[in-house]
Order: sequence, then structure tokens, then C-alpha cells
Amino acid sequence: MSKIIAVHSYKGGTGKTLLSVNLAATFAKLGKKVCVFDLDFRAPSLFAILNAQGIEHWFNDYLNNTADIDTVLFDLSKRLSGKGKFYASLANPATEAIRDMSSKDRKWEMRALGRLLALKETLLANKKFDYLFFDTSPGLQYSSINAIVAADYVIVATTGDRSDVDGTKRMLVELYNLFEKKTGLVLNKVLDGSATATAKKAEMSAKIKDAYQVPLLGLVPCFCEVLRAEGNFIFAEDKPDHPFTKILAEMAKKIETDQI
Amino acid sequence: MKEQQLTTKGPIAILEKIEESLEKINEKMEVIIEIQKNSDVNQSRTTMLPDASLDVMTLLSMPDHLRKTAMTICRCGRATAEEISVTTTRARAVESAYLNQLVIMGYLKKERKGRKAYFFVDPEARS
Repeated sequence: MSKIIAVHSYKGGTGKTLLSVNLAATFAKLGKKVCVFDLDFRAPSLFAILNAQGIEHWFNDYLNNTADIDTVLFDLSKRLSGKGKFYASLANPATEAIRDMSSKDRKWEMRALGRLLALKETLLANKKFDYLFFDTSPGLQYSSINAIVAADYVIVATTGDRSDVDGTKRMLVELYNLFEKKTGLVLNKVLDGSATATAKKAEMSAKIKDAYQVPLLGLVPCFCEVLRAEGNFIFAEDKPDHPFTKILAEMAKKIETDQI
Repeated sequence: MKEQQLTTKGPIAILEKIEESLEKINEKMEVIIEIQKNSDVNQSRTTMLPDASLDVMTLLSMPDHLRKTAMTICRCGRATAEEISVTTTRARAVESAYLNQLVIMGYLKKERKGRKAYFFVDPEARS
């Protein structure tokens, strides 16, 4: 069943973009047709991570109603092995574009929500995409909440840092519950290496369910090499035997078999 | 003369006419009751401008019962109370009341086609 998945977090730097790109790549490797959207218009980063060159139309243009969806999709399938299709739609990193996006009014945001909701028809139904990933900006702001409302499933990335825990909990209760969103939590950059051991996993899972009232989608230990690799390659593609790639595959399986 | 007219129309037609009128009255009553119920929460809202936008922050600040209806109409774009009630699993009459309240608040527009009333987000704001 095709889905729009939003990846969100309370604080910045929790690994949303790397998670979105690599999870999308994992699905593409399984032969799916996927697209990642950069919805962090205030601090675009996907263009850098994917090392995209020669972009003429940005996702900003689609939301501004000055470009059709076809013209803002960037085909990256060649970078992956296998039959899957991997697309990206990027946020414009020019200062002028960032300024423009942060000065939008309520009416514009309402239309933007309409344009995001329309992707279900244009991409999922008509163009047969399997998964669309919305990589959002952290915290409570228009572009992120629009993405959450338009999504079928939301992944919340958290590091479990003190500065992040309280805010994430509040956000889950005061935002997600109100919109009745299906949500999964990814605990990222876990320092305790043994946390991913099977025995400890169940214990951690119960703990998280209790603390956040949201099911755990995945536990990702702190891999320095993943953080350092940023931009140079797509991890899930280039390091198939790395534990991070295996964790991603598990998450993808949960999402695909609807165990969420 | 009047009696003759009635008999030529047939009793079913008359009953249908009565049913239609009753439905209209019922809808209006529901709106009145609903407005009274939520008058404390929405006192300032009910006097809002006729082109208020239904954006996500507005959705967030709405009382729960109205948000559910507003979210559903956001997704379908245009629907009858009956269609909304299928998604929200609440009674049609309840949805009708909430939708009418959203119209009064300026978030939705209403259009009648025959016996059906369609609710939608202002296309001018959405286009």
C-alpha cells in the first residue's frame, strides 16, 4: 500500500535527513518507486547530501504553483543498483528563496497544504509511486505541520538528549494526538552499543512505549562513520553489510508489512 | 379546491415535501444548538471575517470536535455531511451541524445542489 511518510523531530540534528534519504534508498533497493522531498525551507540540506547539480526547478516552485510536479522531480535512480526508482525534490538553498519561504502568510500555507495533499493523487495514484518521504524542518512550524497533516505515517526522530526528550513528549501529545496521526519513534545516536542486542531491544522498546506513548520503529546506535559519510554516498546503497543498513532494512520491513 | 390539489399530488409527494421541510428545520436547529453549546469557546470566532483561512495553525487551535470535521473536509476538498460522517464515524446530523458551524465561522463554503448540500474549502483560497 503506497504511503506518504513524514520524518519530523522536535530539535534539529536528530538525523531526519539521513534517515529519510537512507530509508527511501532502502525501499528503492527493494524495487520500490520512491521520492524524498526537502521540506526544510529554512535550512535546505538535501541538495548537498545528494550532491545535486544543475537543478532548474525546486520544490518551492511546486508549492508556489509556478511549476508542475513533473518538473521538480530529480531522478537519482542511476545512483542505485537494482530496479527501484529513486527521486528527490529539493528545497532551494538560495538566501532569497529562504527569505521568500519564511514570509508566507496563512492563506499561502493553506494552499501549500492543498498542494501537498494533491500529491496523493498525482504521484501515488497516477504515477504509481510507492513511498513519498517528507524531510521536514524541526519543531512546530507551518511547513512541518503541513507535512504531518498530509502524511499517512509520521516518523519522529529523537536522540534521547535531555534537551530533546521533554519537547518531543509534549509535541507528541499536543500536536500528533490532536491530528490523530499514526506515529513511530526512531531513537537515534544511541550511545549504549548493547542497546541493539536482541535481549535489550525488547526492554528498550517497552521503556520507550511507556515514556513517549508511541511505538518504537527503530533503534540506531551512534555510528560516527554514518555522520562523517554525509553527502559522499548513500549509506544504504554503498555499505550493504553495515549494521546501519541492516537496521534500515528492518524499519522498511515494519513499514511495508504495516506493523506500525 | 385546495383539497382537490392535494389529492392530485398524491400523499407520497406531500409526505416527501413535509420530510424535506423537517430536514431543513432540523439542520437549522442543530446549528443553533451547536453554536449555543460552544458559545464560550468560540464567541470571537463566530463573528470572524467571511474569508478566514483553514490553515494548520487554525486547525490546531480549534476545539477537538470541529477539528475532526475540518481535517476530513481538508482531505476530500468537497463533500456532503453524509460523506464526512462515513470517515469520522459520527452521525450525519452531527457532522451537518459542525459543517454549518464552520461555514458560519468563515472557514467553509456551502452549495446546494437539489436536495444535497456540498461543503468545501473556499476554492479561491485553495487554487
